[in-house]
This record gives sequence, C-alpha cells and structure tokens, in this order.
Amino acid sequence: MKLSRPRPRAMPETILPLIDVVFFLLVFSLLVGRMDATAPFELTPPVSDAGTDLPGGGVMVMVSSDGALALDGTAISPVALSLALEEALDASPDLSVRINADGEGALRHLLTLIGRLEEVGAREILLVVTPDPR
Amino acid sequence: MRLRPAKPPGRLITLVPLVDAMLILLVFFLVTSTYLDLDRLPLAETRQQAGAGAGPADTLLIRLAPDGTAVISGRPVGDLETAARVALGPDPVAGVLLFPSPAASVQALVSAMEALTRAGAPSIRIVRTDAP
Repeated sequence: MKLSRPRPRAMPETILPLIDVVFFLLVFSLLVGRMDATAPFELTPPVSDAGTDLPGGGVMVMVSSDGALALDGTAISPVALSLALEEALDASPDLSVRINADGEGALRHLLTLIGRLEEVGAREILLVVTPDPR
Repeated sequence: MRLRPAKPPGRLITLVPLVDAMLILLVFFLVTSTYLDLDRLPLAETRQQAGAGAGPADTLLIRLAPDGTAVISGRPVGDLETAARVALGPDPVAGVLLFPSPAASVQALVSAMEALTRAGAPSIRIVRTDAP
C-alpha cells in the first residue's frame, strides 16, 4: 500500500497588514485635509507668500471674478448674505469671516464686501490666499 | 461520568467586508477631495485696535492704479518693495495707507500688501475710494 503524504496546508493570507495600511491612509487623509465647502463657481485665490496658516472654523464667503457671492458653498445675494452674517455674528460675535475671492476679480467687489462685513459687526476678516507653487 | 458536549466553535468574523468598506471610503475621499494649500492674510482687525496707530504725519500714502501699478507721491513705482523700503527708512515706524483703485485686481492688492510687509511696514490700512 502506498501512502501519499498529506499536502502541506497553505499559509492563510493575513489581511491584517492591509487593513493597517488602509486605515493609516484613511486617518492620514482625514487629519491632513480639512473639509471646506467648494465654491459654486470657478475661483482661483490670489497668490501670496506672506500668508500664514488658515485656521479652521468661521464662515467662508466666496467672491467670483464677476462679483457673485456664496456663503459656505451656497450662492447667495448680497442682502441675504448680510442678514445671514448678522445673525451668525449675533450668536457668535468673535466669528472669523474668511473671504475667498478670485484673484483676477476687480477689487470693487471685495472692498464692498469688506465694508458690508464691517457694518454687520465682523471683527476678524481674513483673505484666503495660496502660496506661490514655484 | 458525565460528559459535556463540546462547545461549538465560535463564528469566524471575516475582515474582508471591513477592508472593502475602508477601501471604498479611502477612494471616495481621494477622488472627491480637492487638495488646496490655503493661507490667510488678515484684512480687518478689531475696531479698538484700528483706532490706535501711526498719526497722519507718520503715514506713507500709496495709490494702486487700475492696472495694479503702485504710485507713491504721484510717481509710478516698478518695484514697490524697494520703493517702500526707501520711503519707510531702515527702522520703519510709519504706517501705510493704501488707496487701491476699485478696478484693480484682488491679486494686485495682495501683491502690494506682500511687498509692503516685506519692506517692514508696521501697519497697512486700506482706504476705499470711488475713483476708478
């Protein structure tokens, strides 16, 4: 009688390292990035190397090159924007307002907006810039 | 002798669905995200701070033309940083009043503010004008 040897069992493939790596990547992308609403129009912020790190929190007002406005990613009229910001500033007077304006847009839109923000009581107004990629 | 029945083996929890879900989440974040390197430039300070500062005599006036050219004392300046450095002196105490044309671009204002910051201007104030 010829007895065949039992085949050695294949090592079970452990997927734990894969889970580890995927988990690290997931947590990394969640920590490094910050969720911000995107503008409903094309917008390229002005380039500057004098900027400092943008803090989180606050509200983001977007201004397109032709002066269209958006609040936290939703298009809004100037009057409605003033009302919404007035309400938000009443609730939280130290609210920081970030302005993400298109770099090629005319300053009249930005300056009018800043005036309006000061009228409704914004104390901290920040302009969003992006560092020179070169 | 009383024999206990052997315990049934515990159900094996497979990790494959977990990996699937995490991979889908990861790919979702990678695909839907737009990666932008954003910084800030402070544009307004509190009104209390805005009241203090250099007096009119210690102020350098700079106009920003519609094409973005800086004008100091009526003369267009090519390199604003150098011109401001000369005008402000080695130990600048003077504040800068910037009169940008509403027709100038946001980038022109940002570049001017950057040049003035490099030149050592202790404070920059932007004055809104209705001039073109």
